[in-house]
Amino acid sequence: MVTVRSIPNTPSSLTTNDLPWIIEHNQDRCTLCGRCAAVCPVGTLKLAYMRKRMPHLVLSSTERGSAYKTFVGIRQSTEVSKRCIGCGSCALVCPNEAIHPIHNSIRDRFRFLNTQQGEPAKRGGRRNEPGASLLDRIIFDRISMLTDPALDAGRHEFSCNTLLGRVLPPDEYVRRKLAGEWIPPVREIFPFVIGSMSFGALSPNMWLGLLQGVAYCNEVLGIPVVMATGEGGCPPWVLRSPFLKYIILQIASGYFGWDEIIRAIPEMQCDPAAIEIKYGQGAKPGDGGLLMWFKVSKLIARLRGVPEGVDLPSPPVHQTLYSIEESVMKMIQTMSMAWDFRVPVYPKISGSTSAKSVLNNLVRNPYAAALMIDGIDGGTGAAYNVSMDATGHPIAANVRECYLDLCAQGKQNEIPIFAAGGVGKNGNVTQNGMALIMLGASGVHMGKYIMQAAAGCLGTETNRCNVCNIGLCPKGITSQNPKLYRRLDPDQVAQRVVETFMSIRTEIKKVMAPLGRSQSLPIGMSDALGIDDKDVAERLNIRYVC
Amino acid sequence: MSKVIVVKGLDANGQRISSKNYEELVQKAFAKSTRLKLETYGQHNVGGRLKSNGKKVEIEINGPCGQRLGCMGMPGTTIVCDGPASDDVGYLNIGAEITVKGDATNGVCNAMAEGKVYVGGSIGARGLTMTKWNPEHQRPELWVLGSVGDTFAEFNCGGIGVVCGIEAKNPKNILGYRPCVGMVGGWIFYRGKNDGSYDKKSVMAILPNDAQWQWLMERMPLYLKKIGRTRLLKKLSVRKEWMMLISIPPQDRALMFSGPMPMAEFKRKIWDPAFGGGDPIRDLAPGLDRSSIGMIETGDLRRRQPFWANRDKAAPCAYYCPVHIPTVDRLRLFREGKGDEAYEMLLDYTPLPASVCGHVCPNLCMQNCSRQLVDEKIDVQMLGRAARDAKLPKPAKQLGKKVAIIGGGPAGMNAAWQLAKGGVEAHIFERDQQLGGKLAQVIPWERLPKAIWDKEIKRFLSMPNITVNFGVTMTKDKFAELKKKYDHVIVAVGTHQPRTIPFPGHDMVIPALDFLKSAKSAKPPKVGKQVVIIGAGNVGCDVACEAYRLGAQEVTLVDIQKPLAFGKEKAAAEELGATFKWPVQTKEVTSEGLIDAAGQLIPAQTVIISIGDVPALKFLPDTVEVLSVGGASWIKCNTAGLTSDPKISAVGDVERPGLATNALGAGKKTAESILAGFKGEEWHDFDLQVIPQSSLTAAHYTPDSCGSSEAEEADRCMSCGTCRDCHLCETICPTQAISREKLEDKSYRYVSDPDKCIACGFCSDTCPCGIWVMRPF
Repeated sequence: MVTVRSIPNTPSSLTTNDLPWIIEHNQDRCTLCGRCAAVCPVGTLKLAYMRKRMPHLVLSSTERGSAYKTFVGIRQSTEVSKRCIGCGSCALVCPNEAIHPIHNSIRDRFRFLNTQQGEPAKRGGRRNEPGASLLDRIIFDRISMLTDPALDAGRHEFSCNTLLGRVLPPDEYVRRKLAGEWIPPVREIFPFVIGSMSFGALSPNMWLGLLQGVAYCNEVLGIPVVMATGEGGCPPWVLRSPFLKYIILQIASGYFGWDEIIRAIPEMQCDPAAIEIKYGQGAKPGDGGLLMWFKVSKLIARLRGVPEGVDLPSPPVHQTLYSIEESVMKMIQTMSMAWDFRVPVYPKISGSTSAKSVLNNLVRNPYAAALMIDGIDGGTGAAYNVSMDATGHPIAANVRECYLDLCAQGKQNEIPIFAAGGVGKNGNVTQNGMALIMLGASGVHMGKYIMQAAAGCLGTETNRCNVCNIGLCPKGITSQNPKLYRRLDPDQVAQRVVETFMSIRTEIKKVMAPLGRSQSLPIGMSDALGIDDKDVAERLNIRYVC
Repeated sequence: MSKVIVVKGLDANGQRISSKNYEELVQKAFAKSTRLKLETYGQHNVGGRLKSNGKKVEIEINGPCGQRLGCMGMPGTTIVCDGPASDDVGYLNIGAEITVKGDATNGVCNAMAEGKVYVGGSIGARGLTMTKWNPEHQRPELWVLGSVGDTFAEFNCGGIGVVCGIEAKNPKNILGYRPCVGMVGGWIFYRGKNDGSYDKKSVMAILPNDAQWQWLMERMPLYLKKIGRTRLLKKLSVRKEWMMLISIPPQDRALMFSGPMPMAEFKRKIWDPAFGGGDPIRDLAPGLDRSSIGMIETGDLRRRQPFWANRDKAAPCAYYCPVHIPTVDRLRLFREGKGDEAYEMLLDYTPLPASVCGHVCPNLCMQNCSRQLVDEKIDVQMLGRAARDAKLPKPAKQLGKKVAIIGGGPAGMNAAWQLAKGGVEAHIFERDQQLGGKLAQVIPWERLPKAIWDKEIKRFLSMPNITVNFGVTMTKDKFAELKKKYDHVIVAVGTHQPRTIPFPGHDMVIPALDFLKSAKSAKPPKVGKQVVIIGAGNVGCDVACEAYRLGAQEVTLVDIQKPLAFGKEKAAAEELGATFKWPVQTKEVTSEGLIDAAGQLIPAQTVIISIGDVPALKFLPDTVEVLSVGGASWIKCNTAGLTSDPKISAVGDVERPGLATNALGAGKKTAESILAGFKGEEWHDFDLQVIPQSSLTAAHYTPDSCGSSEAEEADRCMSCGTCRDCHLCETICPTQAISREKLEDKSYRYVSDPDKCIACGFCSDTCPCGIWVMRPF
């Protein structure tokens, strides 16, 4: 019989030392201001009262019994549902640096108990693979000093934009031009694209802040940055604004927000940059978008055309498409037709050993403007742990394979490949992107990097925070709760977006200049790449250097 | 003046001498004379490294000139090249004066630090680049008659350029493409068109001021003389045709270029107007406020808020007690010095505190007493006993109603007590000659002292509105009469019919109920030395104790399953020596004793059966539905004790067997619902939830010796769910949001100011009684 005094033991009992993040609290510095407990997104911090017993043990004294002293301190909960996520909001608000979380990867037992109520572990964020990624290790080693003229990254003029769209072979282009036939639309864009993160996965302040930064880059700085919308649609006012030309509209298996888009077409001031047809996402192949009910606020529901507060797990496949050929034919033609064939339309797929088959189908289709491959290292707002960690394909080999296949057919200049999945995940965004470009990509999409650089996302590859899926984002990036997302100022996000792209542009020049390139992006210039891993070098068909 | 020495560039065979060898020849010649005529044939690096030592060094170049003419030229050296020159004239020149009577190609004056280069034609790309200027020396100068090529003056750090635009190679742009990139010092005079591609961050175009114009005009004649074009002087002296590019100092640059358009300006001028001058999502979410807030907020922006939920949940003592006696409130009254009120409150709930709470009840209230988290539960028995002498409560005004209660056991007694207190006449009809039911008839005096019991009965009977009729056996007719005469009837007859099992010899077996009644009477029965009791529950233990008292020496309790006896009753029986045997199934009973199914004999002279009692309901009218459970009939009631007949209620064992305390509780509940009916009010059952122990903060209490007085127990009580006015919440609140408010009826409450509260939860973490709770907002 469990009495009042018993300490219960259950399979899901945890001690502080079993938790993935342990709060270190310095009682000497704590001023009991309450801010850490107020701000903690999961409510793990509480003011604990503890009692110390001091028995009277002096032999020579006759005083016996115990004295007691009560003291207080901030403690964390050991309940599974309230475990510390390591976000560090407590450290952010503490006036005395008295508290911060510490990672406990070695003794964490929560990983065995994260299946409460039969639900497998889910999270938002990233794959949690710390350390240098493959892309981090690729170096640019074919330095021009004397043979080709070395260029000055700071002073010479560089053309580092890329092309999104089906580029006709020169003779075909001339023939069509003279005959007055249709020329596929091609956009000149900055090779680093803000990848699809939906209005819904992101808060309105974040999404609009990103767009504002993108608009600034284009209109003030002349950097032709574009941003993809993700699955959640696009606000009607934005569709009717002049900024639509900086936006890639995504259409996915959930079809959210497309009624508004179709409604807006006659009133659009300009065409969108492109249409992205999502067939898969690198972070969680096998799942479509996953927006849980707590993030389907009134605003999101209204834009997406669904009731408030319902889970929105999009199907992994488009419900009426069952083959590559059919998908390509039906979707690409429909989307192209919607804008009278003026807008490039391309599919986005998860990285896979079968990516080449998709590419080869696209090559045969005259309307396909590109292929976007999303690798396993991609981030997401919500995914099952097992999907995020174990399903997918690393991007480098996928891109390389596809590009070399195109080269074998002589089509490498015609259908661009765009790559994503971990570009900049450790901060080396330009290096990662340029490595992929020189492996054969025409450009890259970045997601996690922009969240970090533009909005200060707290997540790391050691599973810090990563609660995007449940809408508790302490920075207000991925929450639909105004009490959280109003912490994020869209103007400041826009400013950081601008700073990020200015910096990437300079870094691109810093990479291109020593390679002796300035007039065009070095797409496929794989003879300039090297890595200190023989097997990788062989697989990627680049140089092994050590 | 020394003689001019000629150094030929072709050897005797007419072959070109290498630059290395030629340089040696030149140096040898220079050792002899400072005036040299160099008949070059494309040799490079000619004319440099000739230190003057005070004498004038005069070099004439006659022949195809190689690259880097005058490279590392020294002060005092004058070089004149009779024709055009090649790349890098004046490379690293530190003071020589070089005249080229023709065009020169790329890199003229690259890295030059001092000296002058006069070009009588145009030059190629990257002229005057990376020049230096040591302030202890003169500035390097480059004079060009025609135009200059692309990337002119890149990284010019202090040199002066003059580009005259005469016979320019590119008249539309005499300064070339993108001049002055990175130029940080010096200036360029130019006369002619340019494409405006000069680096605006490094230089700015101005008209020469007087001093600058004078500088130019002072030197122009000499330059033209050097290149042999003196007739151009007038043409080149028209001031308005000349412009200058001067480098912008860093401080000025900072003021001129504060970066691209500020974001706020972009927002105002370009971003907002694009959406019709409003929030781009105003159609999707009208009135949505997206303005900035901080990490810590008050008021409506908090994600949770505190509630002072005083008495929102029940303390465990009040919750688990079948009568819901709020011991927590009793002890609070003691703490407040209101001892009399405390007794009054107790007698409000039960007429038998000393007997039941103090002795007989297993004290369900205390089984979950939160004080066990610290030391020992509250000694409620002591509290109960202390109420023995408490005064009689005053009844309310008479309502003019009367209720008949059949059965004077604890259920009927409390029903009568409550009704009487409420101003209703309560008439008890009891079969026996005494009140108390099984409490009086059956429970051994060892467990319930007679003196205490008598006192409480006396108090009970002194309550106005209560009338007791003893010796009344109820029949159907009598019942019908009562129903007519009284406003309501309550059946509280309990269970006084023992269960039996018809095994052979069952007529030799004494039912426990009869035995105990007899044992308590004036004429107790005789018992054998060996006694067997069939049925090892608590009643069986009572039987065992009585048997020992009446002379038994060996008592065995047998049961077909594990004995259900527990607590004081079991302890008492075992202390006297009683033993338990199970599983034992009785086959038959003889005069020898009990024979079990296996044929074993347990010797006994007295065999008693104690397997429970059932109600005797012969008097009940047909309008009252009964339930058949466990082979017996029980009266069916709703939660208020009302039967299927709206004028008849049933309370106690007759409805559901239980403790005396359960009977007391049922009696109270039913009486209250009847009273409410008489007054036309709504009746609510006890519906509070029990406060979870995790809400309490036990660490505030230190283990103590368990009290021997009511005052001491009052101090130990943790006041679960009821504010004890300790002010700790006020003290711990970091923003002083909590304050205590006095209310009109002299009570108080604690409130949290939403404008100050940051929702840290400290109040809830601190509250010893679990009053402050945080709820999502």
